[in-house]
Amino acid sequence: MGSPIQAQAGAAPPWWRNRRLIPWLVQVGVGLVVLVLVAFLVGNLVRNLTAAGLLLSWSWIHNPSGFDIAETLLPFNAALPYWRALLAGLVNTVRVVIAGLVGATALGTLMGTASFSSNGLLRRLARIYVEVIRNIPLLLQLVFWYFVVFLQLPNGTAALQLPGVVLAKSGLYLGHTALVNGVWQGSLRFTVEFTALLTGLVVYTGAFIAEVVRGGIAAVPQGQWEAARSLGFSPLQTLQRIVLPQSLPVILPGLNSQYISLAKNSSLAVACGYTDLYSVAETTLNQTGRAVEVVLILLGAYLVIDLLISALMNGLNQLVQIKER
Amino acid sequence: MTSPLSSAAAASPTVMVEACGVEKWYPNGFHALRGVDLCVHQGEVVVIMGPSGSGKSTFIRTFNALEDFQQGSIVVDGMPLSNDVRNIDAIRREVGMVFQQFNLFPHLTVLENLTLAPVLVRKRPKAEVERQALQLLERVGIHEQAQKYPGQLSGGQQQRVAIARSLCMEPRIMLFDEPTSALDPEMVQEVLEVMQELAREGMTMVVVTHEVRFARQVASRVVLMADGQVVEVAPPEQFFTNPQHERSKQFLRQIG
Amino acid sequence: MPMPSSLQRLRRELFATPLDSLISVLLMGGLTAAAAGLLHWALAQAQWLVIQANSTLFAIGRYPLDQQWRLWLLTTLLAAATGITWGLLRAWPRPDRPARLWPRNDVLASGLLALLALLLPAALALTPPLQLRWWGITALMLLARWGAGCWGPRVPGPIRRLLPLAWPVLYLLGMVLINGGLGLMPVPPSQWGGLLLTLIESSFAILLCFPLGILLALGRRSDLPLLRWGSVLYIEFIRGAPLITLLFLGQNILGFLLPGGVAPERVWRAAWVLTVFAAAYVAEAVRSGLAAVPRGQLEAARSLGLPVHQALIHVVLPQALRVALPATVGQFITLLQDTTLLSLIGLLDLLGTARTVMANPAFLGKNAEVYLVLAVLFWCCCAALGLGSRALELRLNPNANVRSTLANAKA
Repeated sequence: MGSPIQAQAGAAPPWWRNRRLIPWLVQVGVGLVVLVLVAFLVGNLVRNLTAAGLLLSWSWIHNPSGFDIAETLLPFNAALPYWRALLAGLVNTVRVVIAGLVGATALGTLMGTASFSSNGLLRRLARIYVEVIRNIPLLLQLVFWYFVVFLQLPNGTAALQLPGVVLAKSGLYLGHTALVNGVWQGSLRFTVEFTALLTGLVVYTGAFIAEVVRGGIAAVPQGQWEAARSLGFSPLQTLQRIVLPQSLPVILPGLNSQYISLAKNSSLAVACGYTDLYSVAETTLNQTGRAVEVVLILLGAYLVIDLLISALMNGLNQLVQIKER
Repeated sequence: MTSPLSSAAAASPTVMVEACGVEKWYPNGFHALRGVDLCVHQGEVVVIMGPSGSGKSTFIRTFNALEDFQQGSIVVDGMPLSNDVRNIDAIRREVGMVFQQFNLFPHLTVLENLTLAPVLVRKRPKAEVERQALQLLERVGIHEQAQKYPGQLSGGQQQRVAIARSLCMEPRIMLFDEPTSALDPEMVQEVLEVMQELAREGMTMVVVTHEVRFARQVASRVVLMADGQVVEVAPPEQFFTNPQHERSKQFLRQIG
Repeated sequence: MPMPSSLQRLRRELFATPLDSLISVLLMGGLTAAAAGLLHWALAQAQWLVIQANSTLFAIGRYPLDQQWRLWLLTTLLAAATGITWGLLRAWPRPDRPARLWPRNDVLASGLLALLALLLPAALALTPPLQLRWWGITALMLLARWGAGCWGPRVPGPIRRLLPLAWPVLYLLGMVLINGGLGLMPVPPSQWGGLLLTLIESSFAILLCFPLGILLALGRRSDLPLLRWGSVLYIEFIRGAPLITLLFLGQNILGFLLPGGVAPERVWRAAWVLTVFAAAYVAEAVRSGLAAVPRGQLEAARSLGLPVHQALIHVVLPQALRVALPATVGQFITLLQDTTLLSLIGLLDLLGTARTVMANPAFLGKNAEVYLVLAVLFWCCCAALGLGSRALELRLNPNANVRSTLANAKA
């Protein structure tokens, strides 16, 4: 409603009562306040940083880091520059996020569909799982998994052994496993830190995804189930072929926010001793004092991850939209 | 049958609404109102009819600035509709509106729906407003429902509450935007009766409706709008039995 | 002869198909094994001394012993206020239905409270004077509830309108009692810890993020481009950042933003970061609430002559907030849980206190006991908030279908 009304014969109203001007005055006013505030803060920032000799610069990023990273996919040592360290941290983050997304989706879908099982015990267990996990802080769950479960695992010969899988205090080993001089070896090895973080993230996010999936399936009209049954489909087939595809447009947006949530929650890795991007950044800050730059890198990296996930989910969303007239 | 109101209008021809050459374009370029003129006198009941999309609702919504217009002028009760916020607020106090979807406030009781505006806008004491509200509710026949919530009432009851709510502000003009179109058929009559009673008491009313019987019984004039323009204006007995314009004849054929 | 119905139901629920029977057997076996193991550990192996010996630390951190009477006073006042509010809410009839003074839920809740008051102090091995104090406080709350229920309806109108003001006053009074000032000896925030710090941080953030979130939501839906894009920028920036990063930012950069490099206390820095963070998510919840209010509501209010701000306050926002209630309370619950992140920036909230306790050589390795107790504590608080939200939903909208589970809303 912003188009002008011709005033009848008579003067235009004074500016403070003019319906056309008021919105612009409000915006100008708010804009000025914000501008002044920002100028004040930024001015202080620049002044204080200059005084501390920490004004924005990126040259420090090529200096040798001087610290080691506990686990990293890329080769790294203390002599390599900071940007290599941050990159290694980023790779670690991406590793655990991708594994987490896969695991959480699997677990969440399982528990979400379990809510519709014919088995009363399974239904109730799924409900209890969600209600318990949702009300306990993630950080508490992570330290629980790391300190109480994984660090208490037996080692050596007492480790949990299944064909192709060995779970010990020293890590999770997959593939060809062998005990060599009291130390486990395997074709694929995951550290305890990684496994604990992954388990915590998967269990936590899985509960929320279970809710999303449950809501999506519940949104499919009851008539679909009835029609499927009358056509002779088994409940599992109904779920797979008829109900789940229709629930996807409802599930995907919720899944998007859960995925982004998981990506952001991976920053709590420092509680599990896993050297993700945040933990490397924190160490970098402690060593260089370059607060502004490090924070910018952190914010930028997580923003990019979020945007990538959102772009992927939006693309998927387009694909699963039910074509309507 | 001449409505007694037209003689009243002839006796005291105070102009309540004067619209001259009103033009409105929507942002997408659609020309909704094409130079509409209308003059509504005090005590008149003007019924506006027409096919859907003809701009009737848009037109009456310009009277209380719920819709803007680009050209022309509108004067309501002597106050021009301009960009002056004070003018617009003053006009809205004097113009009551009843919507097709009732638009009652669901989180307030019926009584609170009525008393909200007079207390906040006209700054009248609450006890006095409540007394008036209860009287109005009795007039429209919903006295016992005063403490109920709108969700607990039927459509016809809700619309009557909506009328009472507008009346509680003591407006000089009442606008009705298809007040019975969203009602089940058996509830239409109770609302029309309330509107008829209002007209008998001399309220100036502009009504957009499809109810032909109401128009015949109550209207001082019937206005036919089509494609954003006024096609014909005539007293009801002339309009329905001997329409002049081809478009009017077409419309009357369509509504049977 | 027909089987008893409960047995039939059991068979139908658990053993309807062969697959179901298998699942049931496996689950029941697994559950009993896990429960037995947990019980054995809890009763035989676990050493709960770590909780009992440090209960004060967990409750209030390193608050000076001689000033703790202030916290007792505050707790007593809060208990009385809660009891009175509870009783009054039950006693005052709604416009369309009579009041029910002692519904079944209330009886259950009162019983539960009494039980907790009797058992918990003993379980925590508190000294008898402390145990007595807790009994006294619980008794006071229940008494206040009963009294308010009896005499509440006789309270005259003008006082009734002023009563809700008691809570903000109490909150401010609480801040003074905890912090110091007005003649009381100041207790620096570095000495606040445990549950006290957790509650201070979360209550501060919850109280402030709500109005801020509403403003942002209104801004996001505004027609004015500057307000809309400003709100969008704020919301999307915050939602894209992990909380720990923002807390990190708050701790390290906030000091540079003020003249002279002066930085406010770490506790307050974190509280403001939590507020700013949660406001973005609350804004999203309120925004969907605003979208659910039909346009006609605002039109009707404006056509009655109500100016915009009054139309918003009296017509649009009440309806929008009712719709947004589950998601908003979900955000508050998340906020309460997010206070645990303060332990990662060196503040001594519940989790931070736990870690310092476990660093004590005497209690090394008692992780399981401590984390379990904390988990139960958090679970109870969050579940209670969730129940409260559902009850509030039902009260505000008795006709609505309240199967709306609390929105997770973490992203």
